Amino acid sequence: MEDYFSYTERLFNPSKAVEKPEALKGIRVLDFSHVIFGPTAARIMGDYGAEVIKLELPFYGDLWRPATYWGKYWKHSNPIWHFVTKNKYFVSVDLKLPKAKDLILRLVETSDVVVENFAPGTAEAWGVGYSQISKVNPRIIYLSCSTYGQYGPLRFFPGWDLLAQAASGVLSLTGYPDTEKFYKLPDYLGDFVPGNIGALAILMALYYRNKTGKGQYIDLAQSEALMRILFHHTYHNLTGEELGRTGNSDPTMVPASIFKTGDEKFLALACATKDQFEGLLDAMGREDLRKDKRFTNTFDRLKPENAEALTGIVADWVKIHDCEEIVKLSNSKAFPAAEVMDDYQICHDPWRRQRGSVILFNDDMYGEFVLAGPSAQLSETPSRNKWLARPLGYHNRIVLKKFLGMKEEEIDDLEKKKVIGTFDDKPGLKPPVYYNMDEDPIYNYGKEAMK
Amino acid sequence: MNPKKNKEEIYARHVASAKAIRHLSSWGETLAEIMNPEGKPEVLDDVLVLDASHANFSGIIASSFFAEFGAEVIKIEPNEGDPARKMTPFGANVKGVGIPFMVEGRNKRYMTLDLKNNEEDREVFGKLAKQATIVIENYAPGDMDSWGIGFRQLSHENPGLIYIAVTPYGQYTDKAKEFANLPDSDITTQAGSGLPAQIGDPATAPDPYNWPLRAGPWMGWYISGLSAALGGSIALVYRQNTGKGQMIDIAGMDAYSSMVGFPASIGYTWEKARPRIGILDFILYPYGHWKCKDGYVAIAAPRDHDFRALIKILGLWKIEDDWRYTSDRIPDVLDQAMALHKLIEAKTMQYTSDELVEKALAYSKKAARSKWRGGGVPIIMKVMTPDKTMGNRQWTTRKAFQEVEDETLGKYVISSGFVKMSESPPRVKWVSCDIGKDNDYIREKYLHGG
Repeated sequence: MEDYFSYTERLFNPSKAVEKPEALKGIRVLDFSHVIFGPTAARIMGDYGAEVIKLELPFYGDLWRPATYWGKYWKHSNPIWHFVTKNKYFVSVDLKLPKAKDLILRLVETSDVVVENFAPGTAEAWGVGYSQISKVNPRIIYLSCSTYGQYGPLRFFPGWDLLAQAASGVLSLTGYPDTEKFYKLPDYLGDFVPGNIGALAILMALYYRNKTGKGQYIDLAQSEALMRILFHHTYHNLTGEELGRTGNSDPTMVPASIFKTGDEKFLALACATKDQFEGLLDAMGREDLRKDKRFTNTFDRLKPENAEALTGIVADWVKIHDCEEIVKLSNSKAFPAAEVMDDYQICHDPWRRQRGSVILFNDDMYGEFVLAGPSAQLSETPSRNKWLARPLGYHNRIVLKKFLGMKEEEIDDLEKKKVIGTFDDKPGLKPPVYYNMDEDPIYNYGKEAMK
Repeated sequence: MNPKKNKEEIYARHVASAKAIRHLSSWGETLAEIMNPEGKPEVLDDVLVLDASHANFSGIIASSFFAEFGAEVIKIEPNEGDPARKMTPFGANVKGVGIPFMVEGRNKRYMTLDLKNNEEDREVFGKLAKQATIVIENYAPGDMDSWGIGFRQLSHENPGLIYIAVTPYGQYTDKAKEFANLPDSDITTQAGSGLPAQIGDPATAPDPYNWPLRAGPWMGWYISGLSAALGGSIALVYRQNTGKGQMIDIAGMDAYSSMVGFPASIGYTWEKARPRIGILDFILYPYGHWKCKDGYVAIAAPRDHDFRALIKILGLWKIEDDWRYTSDRIPDVLDQAMALHKLIEAKTMQYTSDELVEKALAYSKKAARSKWRGGGVPIIMKVMTPDKTMGNRQWTTRKAFQEVEDETLGKYVISSGFVKMSESPPRVKWVSCDIGKDNDYIREKYLHGG
């Protein structure tokens, strides 16, 4: 039989990904959403082959377009926005105008999914909510994303990732015990995790529609999505105590902490089972601890005083060994260990490049760029990258003309009435300076035919 | 923070018209009714999932999602039980079952099979896998294959099978082979995928506060588990259309970096790692938490008009003409950003969290109805702890928490209503998880009593 790793290498070969089928081909997603939460749900659909049409306001665009870290732009674009909104069609329409509503309802007729994350009630007030859109297309799957949900006494409370972290309790959990030091989850995880749950809900609704023909409404509150990933409520309910913050140690297993190594690196090391603990003791040459009554039974080992003692013993051992040496031992003795990785290491890690979890992508407009690969590698229908984010209104013509079959005069009229529009000179909205938009066949779609 | 009156307050200008308010009031009532999961169909009622994961919550979390959407999930473990049963904060348990296992034991069947050591049990597993839609496992890559029950063999007999494997470094690449024996944990998944590097105080702070810090919740395992469920769902839709199955490979060390994408792209454009910047945010300001009279509040007012509204309601308008605060709030100069942080803190300390929330809401309410549109929305929210969220009217109305009851484990509360769906919502039906409790049921139903 073929060696397992040569079999899997063939099965997953990232260089063959573009030749494989797309799982969501033929699905059209209308993406009214902005910033990260809604756009992430829609983007995941696009990564697997759905046609995602993102609608933005002319001359303003998505709030997140200009929001880059420390104000650093890359080729006049926001580098972190490329990951958030790749593979989408960028159409710029003024949703509030009655003419735009006609346009949207025409798109709705041929769409499968709508995603929005306006302040709750806004889409309904504009006439593009589920109650209105489901009348035009009863098969529609409509995902509304918000911080508190579309019903309930707090539904109109304003919110973002941070406020969902505060409202769900997540914000209080990362930091040091008995101090005032605590931190939010970074990089808008309070948007990304719920955004992925939004994609999961859409897929479940698609599966249901394939069986029954029925569309449905999905109300996703990011605070509730964040509460789903906590066992802290149950801990409180059963013990009467707050689990609170536990610093750099995971209180569910011992040892399980971030330590400093002899060569001044940071290393996470854990033992989730008895076997792993014995592997560690073997690696440390501390067979004696195996008989130590404080540590033999798992539940005893987890008691705070015993956990602290054991964590101290491990810290002393880690401190006099190099990171690489411990990582090697962890593999041979089978206990979990990993160096704390930073942005630079992740970007340049050969394993991630080979695997396709960090991808050097060559884009038609922006050239070379590094994107994170998918969270899940699929052997038969892998995700793929087609294009990065595009300037505001870049796909106006192709969507109106090709997808909706509009005539040139109609498009002119919409432009004149400012129903549709494009970018102005703001970074994040406009193309890179070196790029000649006049010669771009997609931006100018259908103009040739006029001549 | 709860408005005392029953009348709903409006804080967003687009919904402030009388017509919109009338429509939204009845729409809200309709929603509360149609989002009730009771009696609704279950979307995955035609799906059988075998969860053979062990000593690892990613697999358990993934199979929970499938079970909540109605799949029949059989959790497979050896006679002594999955070691995951004993992973629990400070050892807290009910009759030997730890709290995370009690929380994630949703709608599952439990069967005892020893795949690692028992040839006959592997055969039983193979028979079940012939009928299964999804298999989840987290053995060392190649183990299941060498036992004759890997994707290669199972998919031969069941071409529609979706096979999800969860490991630290995945099923292919040189490193996956080299580190095949490395087991998985939440903290190593967090560390290896880049999360702790972004949490903690700046380098100038004393030890250990300048160290990278783990996220309090199980972010490594929950992201891996969610990614497994999401990958599995994409494969389910493809299988529904074509009949074809596939293998899904989750690497824990991708968890954070592939979920948010920032580390890879920033590492490329900036050619270095971001430093840790404590409680500040890389992009937005103000966007964090502040101490107040009776606890903490989270404040988000990053756009210029939001920020101006914030300094107005905090009585800080005097700094409005200082460019350091109004034009340059990006925390690339930490001292400058912290100086503003302290100015705001001096004000928030004068009020209770309820007072601050009320101030922000009153301003937003007025701005929503004002003809002048530059009002801004300064958002202030009390920082809740998980236990404090449980009684909140918003979540009781929406049934975000549920009291479950089990013969062995007794009564307890879990968070469950994580997404509302009008036709095929997820739900929790039972939590019982006694080892081998469904052995007979499973043998009867799938193995002809054998």
